[in-house]
Amino acid sequence: MLIERANIISNIEVAHNIWEMFFEAPEIVNDYKGPGQFINILVEDNWNHPLRRPMSIASAKDGKVSIIYKIFGDATNTLSKKQSGDTIEILGPLGNVFTNWDNGYYPILVGGGVGLPPILNLKSECEFNKIDHTIIIGAKNSDEHFMTHNPENDIILTTDDGSCGETGTVMNPIDRIIKEKHKAYIFACGPEPMLVAIRDYALKNDIPSQLSVESYMGCGVGLCQGCVISKNNIDKKENSYHEQYSLVCLDGPIYEAKDIKFEQS
Amino acid sequence: MGLSTKQRILNLSNLEISIGKVTFKNPIWVASGTFGYGTEASELIDVNRLGAIVTKSITRQPREGNPPPRIVETPSGMINSIGLANIGVEKYIKEMLPVYENLSTKIIMNIAGTDMYEYIEILELMENISSNISGYEINISCPNVKKGGMEFGVDCDMTAKLTEELRQRTDRLIIMKLSPNVSDIVSIGKAAQNAGADAVSAINTVVGMSINAKTAKSNIFTTYGGLSGPAIKPIGLAAVNKLYKKLSIPIVGMGGIVSSTDVAEYILAGSTAVQVGTANYRNPGVGENLIDSISTYIAESNWNTLVEMIGKVQKYN
Repeated sequence: MLIERANIISNIEVAHNIWEMFFEAPEIVNDYKGPGQFINILVEDNWNHPLRRPMSIASAKDGKVSIIYKIFGDATNTLSKKQSGDTIEILGPLGNVFTNWDNGYYPILVGGGVGLPPILNLKSECEFNKIDHTIIIGAKNSDEHFMTHNPENDIILTTDDGSCGETGTVMNPIDRIIKEKHKAYIFACGPEPMLVAIRDYALKNDIPSQLSVESYMGCGVGLCQGCVISKNNIDKKENSYHEQYSLVCLDGPIYEAKDIKFEQS
Repeated sequence: MGLSTKQRILNLSNLEISIGKVTFKNPIWVASGTFGYGTEASELIDVNRLGAIVTKSITRQPREGNPPPRIVETPSGMINSIGLANIGVEKYIKEMLPVYENLSTKIIMNIAGTDMYEYIEILELMENISSNISGYEINISCPNVKKGGMEFGVDCDMTAKLTEELRQRTDRLIIMKLSPNVSDIVSIGKAAQNAGADAVSAINTVVGMSINAKTAKSNIFTTYGGLSGPAIKPIGLAAVNKLYKKLSIPIVGMGGIVSSTDVAEYILAGSTAVQVGTANYRNPGVGENLIDSISTYIAESNWNTLVEMIGKVQKYN
């Protein structure tokens, strides 16, 4: 974990309101442990936005890190205005990593909305290690997709309005692939309603699954105790002392679905 | 006087301050609740350079804290409602005190209780064992728990009674942490002083609210929380200056400190030491930066030491 001032290499809009930024951060790449980890970005040096923004690492190699982000508000809008040659201050790498994807399972990688980066990152690792897998990406409509629906190559897109890929949510293809494959393991990141649905499905059908969760985060390093998620059991994790809550920044952001519960489920 | 600018920068003893019988190598402390138990950020800062570390509030029993969301960013600030999540005093004694033996910075333990008995019990547990804790900051001003000392912090008589009870039980520093959410902070500060406090610290967070207009819901689970960050600096400066004019004990100032200029303003307003809080979330190493930059500030100013700056703000005309 360290703070590095990074030179921005590129920052482009890859789909409607969804941007991809590459920057040079060799020290963070050096410290990086794998897909699932995140960085905490200082969007501006002034104090208009006092807190850093936690963002999943989409790739980290050859001294370069990439993120993929959606414009939600003022801070992400400011981030989208950054250009090649500008710098941003990064704290990282933070958090834990996806595990077991290279352990004899068939990984089903599920991403939705801003939850794409760690899933794309894990897909690259699967490809690099020649592990067969399927990726399923959900969105409201085709404008939000920047990949191509390609079921022959195990890339499945879904849209709520049917404007591309399969119509409906990611749950239909997840159910279908699990029935087709032996020893499936779900790895998912996306909006909370999607994670709630996947968690419910996985627990009901006894499918192992790891979820990358989001939380309002103050510091990213365990100082503020702000980013808690409810635990489903009272086993103590390595870094948190709580029984009821877990700190997403230190113990997460990746959790086995059975270990956590969402407020709305 | 007579030293070159460079010599004065090197002379870091011009940052030394004292409160009661305790000397601190510099006035830059980290604020309770923003720096964990003291060593969490060791990868990002040499904590031994800090003037002091004020720990999270420690309570008699462990506390889980409030349900999420606990944090939201606001213009030039943030609102938190953590709810005093902590390991409880017994585990604190067992796990943290040995860690402090290896630190050369001063440790100020922050204590919170739900009633007088709890504050006293925690203090007695601490006083019954040997440790290198330099003093206690007494949280009588947490806005985020139903019973978190605020009943003391808004009442002169209860502040006096609590301070007196604690004073009888320790020779270590007692610093009463004051709330801005009162009509007259000076009267509470005076009550603490007259009952034997070594210092007061001010301010704790300001009660605030953040609303999501799309969902028509509060952005914080407990509806209201504590506002901190640069947004509250003017409130903190006014509180410190009012206290300085009426009190004779030292004041530890805080509220929105992010730069050496902010530190200088708080010292001029009347602070003997300052605490940096919210800025730690953005950069856990900010305390070290402030120690370096306030040294430079003094070297480049007409002041010789930090102590001679205390309370020297003048009226506009």
